[in-house]
Amino acid sequence: MKQHLGRAVLALTLGLPLVAQFPISALADPDLPPWSEKALQQDVDIEALAASGQDPIPVLQPLGEHLFSAKFTSLDGAGRPDATGAIVPTKVRRKSHLTFQRLAGLDANACASCHNEPVAGGAGSFTANVFVSEGFESADFDTIDPQFSNERNTNAIQGAGLIELLAREMTSDLRKQRKEVLAEARKSGQPAKAQLETKGVSFGSLTAYPDGTLDVSGLDGIDDDLTLRPFSQKGVFSSLRQFTVNAMNAHHGIQASERFDSKWTGTDDFDADGYSAEMTPGQISALVAWQATLPAPTRKQDLPEVWQQAADEGERRFAEIGCASCHVPALPLDSLVFHDPGPFDTAGTLRQSEMDTPLALDLATLDWVKALPRDDQGRVLVPLFGDLKRHKIADAANDTFGNELLAQRFVARDVFITAELWGIGSTAPYGHRGDLTTLNEVILAHGGAAGESRKAYDALSEKDRQSVIAFLRSLEIAQ
Amino acid sequence: MTRFGITASCALLTAGLIHPVLATESQQDRSLAPVPTFLEEATAAGIDHTYDGAWEFFVGGGTAIFDCNGDRRPDLFIAGGKNQARLYRNESPTGGALKFVPVDSGIGEKQAGKVLGAYPLDINNDDLLDLVVLRLGENLLLEGKGDCKFELANRPLGFDGGREWTTAFSATYEPDLDFPTLAFGNYVDRSAPGSPWGTCHDNFLFRPVATEEGGVAYPEATRLSPGYCTLSILFTDWNRSGEPALRVSNDRHYYRGGEEQLWAVPPGRPPRPYRKSDGWQHLKIWGMGIASIDLDVDGFPEYALTSMGDTKLQKLDDESDETVPIYQDIAFDLGVTAHRPYAGEDLKPSTGWHSEFQDVNNDGLWDLFIAKGNVEAMPDFAAYDPDNLLLGQWSGKFTEAGGAAGIGSDRRGRGAGLADFNSDGLLDLIVVNRAAPVSLFRNLGAGTAGGPKPLGNWLAIDVRQPGDKNTRAVGAKISVKTGNRTVVKDIQVGAGHASGQMGFVHFGLGVAERANVRIKWPDGDWSHGYRVFANGHVIIERGAEKARLWYPE
Repeated sequence: MKQHLGRAVLALTLGLPLVAQFPISALADPDLPPWSEKALQQDVDIEALAASGQDPIPVLQPLGEHLFSAKFTSLDGAGRPDATGAIVPTKVRRKSHLTFQRLAGLDANACASCHNEPVAGGAGSFTANVFVSEGFESADFDTIDPQFSNERNTNAIQGAGLIELLAREMTSDLRKQRKEVLAEARKSGQPAKAQLETKGVSFGSLTAYPDGTLDVSGLDGIDDDLTLRPFSQKGVFSSLRQFTVNAMNAHHGIQASERFDSKWTGTDDFDADGYSAEMTPGQISALVAWQATLPAPTRKQDLPEVWQQAADEGERRFAEIGCASCHVPALPLDSLVFHDPGPFDTAGTLRQSEMDTPLALDLATLDWVKALPRDDQGRVLVPLFGDLKRHKIADAANDTFGNELLAQRFVARDVFITAELWGIGSTAPYGHRGDLTTLNEVILAHGGAAGESRKAYDALSEKDRQSVIAFLRSLEIAQ
Repeated sequence: MTRFGITASCALLTAGLIHPVLATESQQDRSLAPVPTFLEEATAAGIDHTYDGAWEFFVGGGTAIFDCNGDRRPDLFIAGGKNQARLYRNESPTGGALKFVPVDSGIGEKQAGKVLGAYPLDINNDDLLDLVVLRLGENLLLEGKGDCKFELANRPLGFDGGREWTTAFSATYEPDLDFPTLAFGNYVDRSAPGSPWGTCHDNFLFRPVATEEGGVAYPEATRLSPGYCTLSILFTDWNRSGEPALRVSNDRHYYRGGEEQLWAVPPGRPPRPYRKSDGWQHLKIWGMGIASIDLDVDGFPEYALTSMGDTKLQKLDDESDETVPIYQDIAFDLGVTAHRPYAGEDLKPSTGWHSEFQDVNNDGLWDLFIAKGNVEAMPDFAAYDPDNLLLGQWSGKFTEAGGAAGIGSDRRGRGAGLADFNSDGLLDLIVVNRAAPVSLFRNLGAGTAGGPKPLGNWLAIDVRQPGDKNTRAVGAKISVKTGNRTVVKDIQVGAGHASGQMGFVHFGLGVAERANVRIKWPDGDWSHGYRVFANGHVIIERGAEKARLWYPE
């Protein structure tokens, strides 16, 4: 952040006559002609923005929207000739002669070139699938053989701010339970076991011992460090910020300073493309803010009566046959203040400790949030149709979702986080590979922990199955 | 509300945000790796202790860092020379200021006097750490009884502590032996005619003998002769053979015709020194302290050897047969010679003592700490000689950051150790100074005394063989893989300057938030990979499917 403090001073000094009422400003390069092909032309000093007390949402949102749709060019530092797409900065072993390459990347030059259905920030079709791996070191030799990568469909981001807030609260809650069971074991001198549950979702058990050690083998659906990582099809990324930093490098070859600068890599130009400090913390914050404030999916309005009746019936069936045990209709959220950086990011993603004060985006000020239902405790009910938990979702009889060969970030190949179904009516095709064209197909593809529900769905009459489809098709991303 | 557009038309400033990389001025002297901030707080932490004494205590001044009360936090045993050695229990709150409380170790005043250094290890396989105490006179084997209590075990173990001036120690578990083999390095034989010049004492090797009761005894010493006034020794698997040899660093100030040594210690056979015919090259230094790490992860460790003047950094010669101990000195190439003070006006050579590779900034690169200090008042060597903190860089070189980190105090450092005393993931530092109070530095990371802040991600790993001999897995290798990068560290007893430690082994992970950990157990078997998340303490027990986690209170 230090380099931006200097910039802030510059902003205050030079910009004061024109922005007297606003200490924060876009920090733009005035030397660029209006036809410049550079997409990255503005920055925000987030340290100064946080200190100003001003609502950061209207400051960051427009820049974030621009950056999400911007087609990054080599003038922005797009491309990574010396770097892989891996999350940990990794050098290639052999340079690819191709700038763009569907497998090893770059595979896109704009976020919105994949996240665009039905609107920017949305899902992507099969054509927008990406190949997930820990980084191709030799793009020339690595292949589409699934032992090297997993093919994934593009997720919709609408409502992601609420998802991250839910995950943060659940992480805090689970860690509090961990602390309590450790204290109990220490106090009693006996092993103590805790069944972990937060917001009505069970995450298995922890056994604590009097010496402060912990047996985590009973955990279910969450990582051993009790950080709930809600993002990606797999549920392996803790924050929009972390995912954004990853994606900027993996998909666009743009390295965020907070992970790739000389402090962590020994160079400001890790990918050796001739551009240093390619993306600032302020620009990442703008992208995060835009994503975090994207309106959550809703339900279709003004449905024909026949569809509405079927949808109502389908929602009941959906619950009856057990789908709602994982695709939980709503989870309660206590606080709507989205701090950026978040509380659980680690080195390589900007941390709260690296700022004097984190940005505080109050999502409660947004109209679409005001429209969400609340429970009797005043908590917003986030209608995600998910539990933010990972489950084994394939078995021998139903192995469609067990089609990957690579574990990702310690999560087994046939385990995925419950897909949030809000907006599913707008995000065909379905499944983590985006290769199932109908909702009926994707429901029947469930196995593993969802096996019983799949059976129950299969046993329904055609009319009842259609009602479930009618219900799911009513969950949309508004256009 | 001010709302700004995203076109350049509203741009107000001239700051170019994105620009091609330009050639910059030389950054030779600036660490690109983050420099941690250390705060000296020994007095506030409750440690008021000085290592002092006459000529015999110009050397020594060690500390043992280990958990003596089973709470998994590192406690401290500190040599005193003419003063009493003292044991301190660690009561530092997690993430807070360091705090230690002196405790009665249970050993008598006489035994606690004339102590030069100490090393912890589990001698009798009861999973309680014992302590080997190096003295001017009888060395002590102290059996840990728990709750920071110790009992003198020389007699029960049949161990003759001797009368030598003992300045170095190392231990290993030889194949087919259930208990550790102990090696003691001795300095000048003061009783020999002509002492001190050319009168170095032999070093000793004690192999364990199983008793009828199932215990262990050390009835007989094997002489490692000739000795060349040793100040640091280390059992190390230098050639990836699985059979550790004993590296010996010697002080040329007193020996005549001596050199640095490497002893082969073949199981069941007498040790023998590598000679010129074996490829061993003659090297004479004022050897004070060994530090070992496998910098390039080729299976062959590198060795930093402190001395008066330049520090050596030895790497097995690429060009030679790897079965032959021919080393090249890469200290100059890597920038770790540290041959004179980095601060002050005194350009005379400096004097290095304890050395240790650790990762103090958690960037995933090994750093090298060297304790520095004039022997006493040697006029040809720097008087102000601050300790070094050589930060590893991604270029493979090291950059001095002792001054910037705040450890460049005007004291004569001797023994030392880096350990995470307050369990916050940042390695703190204790330096035992000669004739001056012990320095205790809290690592504040990127923060200040008002608020420590983390640097890179980290992992602390404790490796155990429960229910087996060698409970602390001495001789094991810990391999930590993040992304496509692997770092390794061996669990060893020895090296440094009269200072040892046993407990969590610390790894910086940089920006990785998880790691794959594998253990090469002392018998050579590799474990499966343990998948662990960053920023925590993990305990890996041999045979366990999953690592256990530990959380400090």
